[in-house]
Amino acid sequence: MKKIHWGVVLAGVAVGLAALILTAMGNPANMGFCIACFLRDIAGACGMHSAAKVQYVRPEIIGLVLGAFIMSVAGKEFRARAGSSPATRFVLGTVVMVGALAFLGCPLRMVLRLGGGDLNALVGLVGFFIGILIGVACLKRGFSLKRSYEVGAAEGGVLPSVMAALLILVLAVPTLFKFSEAGPGSMRAPFWIALVIALVVGALAQKSRLCMVGGLRDAVMLGDFHLLYGFAAIFVVTVIGNLAMDRFHLGFALQPVAHSAHLWNLLGMVLAGWGSVLLGGCPLRQLILAAQGNGDSAVTVFGMIVGAALAHNFGLAGNPDSKNEAGQLVVGGISNAGKVAVIAGLVVLLVIALWNMPKKEAAK
Amino acid sequence: MREKKVWLVVTFHTTAAAIGMEKLCAARGVAGRLIPVPRALTADCGMAWRAEPAARAALEALAAEEGLEVEGFYELLI
Repeated sequence: MKKIHWGVVLAGVAVGLAALILTAMGNPANMGFCIACFLRDIAGACGMHSAAKVQYVRPEIIGLVLGAFIMSVAGKEFRARAGSSPATRFVLGTVVMVGALAFLGCPLRMVLRLGGGDLNALVGLVGFFIGILIGVACLKRGFSLKRSYEVGAAEGGVLPSVMAALLILVLAVPTLFKFSEAGPGSMRAPFWIALVIALVVGALAQKSRLCMVGGLRDAVMLGDFHLLYGFAAIFVVTVIGNLAMDRFHLGFALQPVAHSAHLWNLLGMVLAGWGSVLLGGCPLRQLILAAQGNGDSAVTVFGMIVGAALAHNFGLAGNPDSKNEAGQLVVGGISNAGKVAVIAGLVVLLVIALWNMPKKEAAK
Repeated sequence: MREKKVWLVVTFHTTAAAIGMEKLCAARGVAGRLIPVPRALTADCGMAWRAEPAARAALEALAAEEGLEVEGFYELLI
């Protein structure tokens, strides 16, 4: 019988409950947490893109980072490290974000969407798993972004410092930022409640090493499922919670902040999954690693923020399903530019993977 | 459920090095397996090589001979 790591299950239950509470209190449906969407909202709030419907300084991101930072310092686990191909990681972060926004969600939101009955997320999960398998094949062929090195504490503290500064600024001078008046960016749980919940979730995620990519990678490569128990717990809790609140709607069409263009849901998550394996963790995990001192993950997060800005400035992100004036279904999806970007992203990942594999003579 | 016992856990700076150790050990017939890095050792993620404690000298020699960069050797109850 396999040993169950209850810490990661507890973290999963907490994340699931937190997502349900945040949604009930105002966040968009099936979007209690979404690292991709919320980084995109922050990018918009800072004026990095002008999509008026997705601009808000999400306290969930600030809370996740600061919660994990506080927990890592309290547990004497804050280790400032950097130097593992930071420029490549920036590009990978950008590409992962383009893929996630084509699907309309990070791996964590994919699980939350599944918990709400959104079957498009099942298509996304298939794509994500394909991406993981491609990434694992790269790892088995020796792909590496090389090692990191110890650096000064200030370097390791960059992302927590940026998030603390963002928190101070949004509280002291909110007029600096843009806030959506309609659309997903206008749907918000109360700021302080979201912040406190995210602080707790960030601390638990740091303690448990919760990571969707790591979970699938370890399951495929090592036959170790313990990280996946956390995501199973998120799924079970959100299914039960959504059923109890009459928010479980099984189907493909007209799911909240989602589209049913299957091919692009699938390919978007292939991109996110493959890129995340090359990075060594999903977007949530990148936030947590950066919070506990990993400067390379901080660079990755900055790459994701830029990726979000690019996705909206160039119209690459997915558009949700909707109804027209006659009440007919209008299937959403991504623009032609978005399709080109997803394909180009796959090519970029292939090039990065090949560049960072051992040369034949070195591999002997 | 499997009983806990003391294992030698070898950690690396990169996943590629851990996989490299797996390939080397398979080629040289040294017993062991890849595992996720135990939480007791680090808050980071990645892979480690798990073997019997008696294999330490052989693994150290193998890593040195092949230029495989090891982060540390630990004996751990897991």
